[in-house]
Amino acid sequence: MGGLLASTLVYGLVNSVVLLLTSLGFSLTFGLSGVANFAHGGLYLLSGFLCWLLMHRVGLPFPLAAAATVLLVGLLGAAIYRTVLMSVRGIVLSEVISTFAVGVAIVEFFRWKGFTTYDFTLPALVDGSVDILGVTVDWQRLLIVALGLALTGLLWLFTHRTMVGLALRGMSQDEYTALSVGIESDWAATLSLGLGSALAAVAGIALLPLGIISINIGYDVLLIALAVTVLGGLESTTGLILGSLIVGFAMVITGNYVGPRWSEVVYLAAIVIVLAVKPSGLLGKSKELEDRV
Amino acid sequence: MLEVRDLMVFYENALAVNDLSLEVRQGEVVGVFGSNSAGKTTLLNTVAGLTLHLQQRERRKGGMRITLGGAIRLDGEEIGGLSPRARVERGVVLCRERHPVFRDNTVEENLTLGAYLRPSGELKRGLESVYELFPPLVALRKRKAGMLSGGEKEMVAIGTALMARPRLLLMDEPLLGLSPLMQAEVVRGARAIARRGVTILISEQYARPILPIIDRGYVIENGALVVSGTGAELLDNPEVKSAYFGV
Ligand SMILES: Nc1ncnc2c1ncn2[C@@H]1O[C@H](COP(=O)(O)OP(=O)(O)O)[C@@H](O)[C@H]1O
Ligand SMILES: [Mg+2]
Repeated sequence: MGGLLASTLVYGLVNSVVLLLTSLGFSLTFGLSGVANFAHGGLYLLSGFLCWLLMHRVGLPFPLAAAATVLLVGLLGAAIYRTVLMSVRGIVLSEVISTFAVGVAIVEFFRWKGFTTYDFTLPALVDGSVDILGVTVDWQRLLIVALGLALTGLLWLFTHRTMVGLALRGMSQDEYTALSVGIESDWAATLSLGLGSALAAVAGIALLPLGIISINIGYDVLLIALAVTVLGGLESTTGLILGSLIVGFAMVITGNYVGPRWSEVVYLAAIVIVLAVKPSGLLGKSKELEDRV
Repeated sequence: MLEVRDLMVFYENALAVNDLSLEVRQGEVVGVFGSNSAGKTTLLNTVAGLTLHLQQRERRKGGMRITLGGAIRLDGEEIGGLSPRARVERGVVLCRERHPVFRDNTVEENLTLGAYLRPSGELKRGLESVYELFPPLVALRKRKAGMLSGGEKEMVAIGTALMARPRLLLMDEPLLGLSPLMQAEVVRGARAIARRGVTILISEQYARPILPIIDRGYVIENGALVVSGTGAELLDNPEVKSAYFGV
């Protein structure tokens, strides 16, 4: 064993969960508040550098630096809602432009400050590797798979089994009915942005140890999140998993059989094709016209 | 309990509620009758705080201009500037028109969300009392609310509002589009709610089906008051009778 097929299978799965983890925050925020947070990639990149800075400039141990990063980036997400999003809420183009501006500002800030060398790496949580179907997979990737699946499950429980989660979903389904039982829309949106951003940080801290932190990851991550969520239909967990699997395997298959340089084209192609053929995504239902108040 | 004084609501330049005053006393069931676009929904949404919310939202992004005027008092306290949440906390709960439910949630999740501001210890009791009021909901507990019929959705919507423990329940056209059988069921429910001590302000296009349960009614046209009185008094007015009592 250990042939191309086995490697496609194993790395297809691993890559799918990597994409799932990458997109989780973006998808959560969109599903709960309707805001497409185009700062997602910027926040992901920021988490990597922030965690690195907290470790190497402040001297915190990794677990503490990671926890602080998740918290701070979560708060930053909430602050983004309060400052740039609140006044344009509901105007989709303005939401996209203003969050994208924040994302670009973060990414280009680090480029300007010279964070472009090969010094920036985060430690792997675990070392070593293991053989699966004759394919060598390092433990960090397996840990990422476990983390991605566990987080997806936990988020599902949170949004379906807790009062706060139900309230957030209620707000996303029918704002005026949610308001009439006392749920506040700004609170819900602030929390959605905060949670989604914190998840971007978790993804960054878990995934960035796989390589060096390079500036353009900020843009790649946004495109990946867009591809996966657009494909899956933007609002369901099942759709998100399906989207991750399709893009994840398509990337690995293209990389293995066509050539590594082509695998990145896959998610761009996915966005274009889905938007042209079925804009609501594979599982998405087209939204009914909102009732007037 | 509720006193509305000289209420005005403009959407851009269209007058939706025009200098309207009305009163609901503790323990009463009061009807608001009017044809389509008369301003019933705007009135109830304004009492519940949704219009204020919309106004603030529109103001932030510089969209549609909404102008509000007049006073809304609850037990003497002016509540016209309060958020929808603060009004729910004071016991003013709106059950919106067109049988609104959280479509992707089960019936029981819908009801649970109604108790969003209540202490969690109350949840079980609350659910039991809603199921007692609308027994058909028991069998539908695990069903997605979006799949229900109009009448079942209305029961869920009313149940959800009840879970918030209203002192004043605002019901916006609960009978709209329901079969006569379902209408009777909902009217029976409203009567039972009133018996539990909840004060009710209910809007309808046609007064006939809820005549037996109302103490008084107001008829509005183009956002303004036409007549008011007890059910019998309204029936005595020939114009009102033919327009709203479907004779
Ligand atoms: N959100 C809104 N924006 C603009 N105009 C509205 C809005 N809601 C209601 N109106 C207008 O206000 C008037 C009253 O409507 P409404 O309160 O819905 O009446 P009813 O519930 O009695 O049918 C109508 O002319 C309607 O077009
Ligand atoms: Mg109406």
